Amino acid sequence: MTITLAIPSKGRLMEKSLEALKSAGVDVSAGETRSYRTQVEGFDGLEVLLLSASEIARELRDGTIDFGITGEDLIRETIPEPDRAAAVVARLGFGHADVVVAVPEAWVDVQSMADLGDVAGSFRARHGRRLRIATKYWRLTQGFFSRTHGIQSYRIVESLGATEGAPAAGSADIIVDITSTGSTLLANQLKILADGVILKSEACLVRSHARPHEPAEVAACDELAARFSR
Amino acid sequence: MGEALDQLFATRGAAPAETAIILPAEPYLDAAGEALRRRIFLTRGEGGENLCLRPDFTIPVCMRHIAEGADLPRRYSYRGQVFRQRADGPAEFVQAGIEDLGEDNRATADARTVADALASLETCGVSLDGLDVILGDQGLFEAVLRALGLPEGWQRRLIRTFGHDGQLRAALESLSKGPEHALEGIEAQLIELARDREEGALTRLIRGRMEEAGLPSHSGRSPGEIAARLIEKVAVAEARLGEGPLQLLQDFLAIDCPLDQAGERLGAVMGTAGLDLGRAMTAFETRNLALRAANVDLSRVTYRAAFGRPIDYYTGLVFEARERGAEDPLAGGGRYDRLMTILGADTPIPAVGFSLWLDRIAAVAK
Repeated sequence: MTITLAIPSKGRLMEKSLEALKSAGVDVSAGETRSYRTQVEGFDGLEVLLLSASEIARELRDGTIDFGITGEDLIRETIPEPDRAAAVVARLGFGHADVVVAVPEAWVDVQSMADLGDVAGSFRARHGRRLRIATKYWRLTQGFFSRTHGIQSYRIVESLGATEGAPAAGSADIIVDITSTGSTLLANQLKILADGVILKSEACLVRSHARPHEPAEVAACDELAARFSR
Repeated sequence: MGEALDQLFATRGAAPAETAIILPAEPYLDAAGEALRRRIFLTRGEGGENLCLRPDFTIPVCMRHIAEGADLPRRYSYRGQVFRQRADGPAEFVQAGIEDLGEDNRATADARTVADALASLETCGVSLDGLDVILGDQGLFEAVLRALGLPEGWQRRLIRTFGHDGQLRAALESLSKGPEHALEGIEAQLIELARDREEGALTRLIRGRMEEAGLPSHSGRSPGEIAARLIEKVAVAEARLGEGPLQLLQDFLAIDCPLDQAGERLGAVMGTAGLDLGRAMTAFETRNLALRAANVDLSRVTYRAAFGRPIDYYTGLVFEARERGAEDPLAGGGRYDRLMTILGADTPIPAVGFSLWLDRIAAVAK
């Protein structure tokens, strides 16, 4: 029997994940080479994989891994019903970033989502098209705009990178993006709306409930989870 | 059941409209909004275009009409499968209905739409005795806001939430709060300029900022538009919704009575404030007469002032028939005078229609 845990495969997120595991008594050595294999000490039957952060969210959704460390933003964006298909075992205190709604600073009349709703509502009458939002978080955007704020009249422009440049490039009017210090937004003369924080995200240890487990696996998963809630 | 409906539709002067099952998704996302994206089956064509499985008939029927440029007025009928992702219930089900395009006499077209929807239910074996039929009218709501003399910014905001009780309540609450709240986060200098209605100076200032940020000048919001909205926003914030109008709005929204008593109730609520709903009220009464003429028993229809759909192409009548006490409609419809131009028609075309949920109807009719 093995249970699997995936952690980010590079950078600070990987280092911090390794530290978090270590303080829970799980020692993972992730070879020097570009290998994605690891050696685990301190927890029998645990296999630790190195994957990209967004891949980890997908694998949790599909149940191909039992645990993963990744950003809550990716969990909520990737998994349709995140509270049913997975559970946050522990918030790990690193990788802090907010998913926010940001508009050009020059929109001096827009401070809140209510203002944005008003602008979006009359956008087509004025410009012959819907207000465009560049984002890679279409699920979070839609939930926040449509369900939380009742704003229906907008279009999402899917962005694969450099979302903050979309308004200047003319491919979108506003953006929904992740920011940790806000400096990128500032540099692009974008401002966050007062009530425009969609999610305060950080790295989380997440347990997948997407596939059924044998009793022995459940016991091992419970044990691993318990080490983090201590 | 299907054939009986086809026959009924033919006798009501509606000709079947053929539509494809795989349709371009853009018109749906554009007209109904992004919230639909979660609920439709999307795929991509080889060329990257968004396609979807037909989520409803109204949009393809209207688009086909525009493409063919057929004469008006005209009634189209349809019956077939539609596909939607739903948390509960099957993703594939059958709908039928009529779209009534180009009839300038809106009262007549509205009335026959309601009458045809009810006749369809009876044809399918549903007794009208066991139904709740609910009717709302966005035109009346808009007229109340106008009659109260609310600033346009408020009117727009409230109209957007019409049909969504929670959001409407929240909007009313925030409008009754003071100005400090509404102008938070705006630079004092800008508020001063807006208060003095210095549109030119504001526009120049905003243009400068847009240029600095490298925003394209040819698309999106213009400096003048932003300046004008800021001026309006400051004026609105400092006007504040008084107790009287707020109470009146709430009294209006609370109206929930048989349709044959609605005129009287509306008169009583508006009369206390000496307000007149003008043409919207005439249109409402004219439609009631037309409904009577179409043999709809007004005492069995409920008028609910707060009943509407928060989608911006709906403009007037909205109605639903549900099994008594149930949530899901068996039939629903309304007037969507703004849809045809959104879909590309050169001139506005009055339009009203209804659709039937045949699977639910079959379950009830048993």
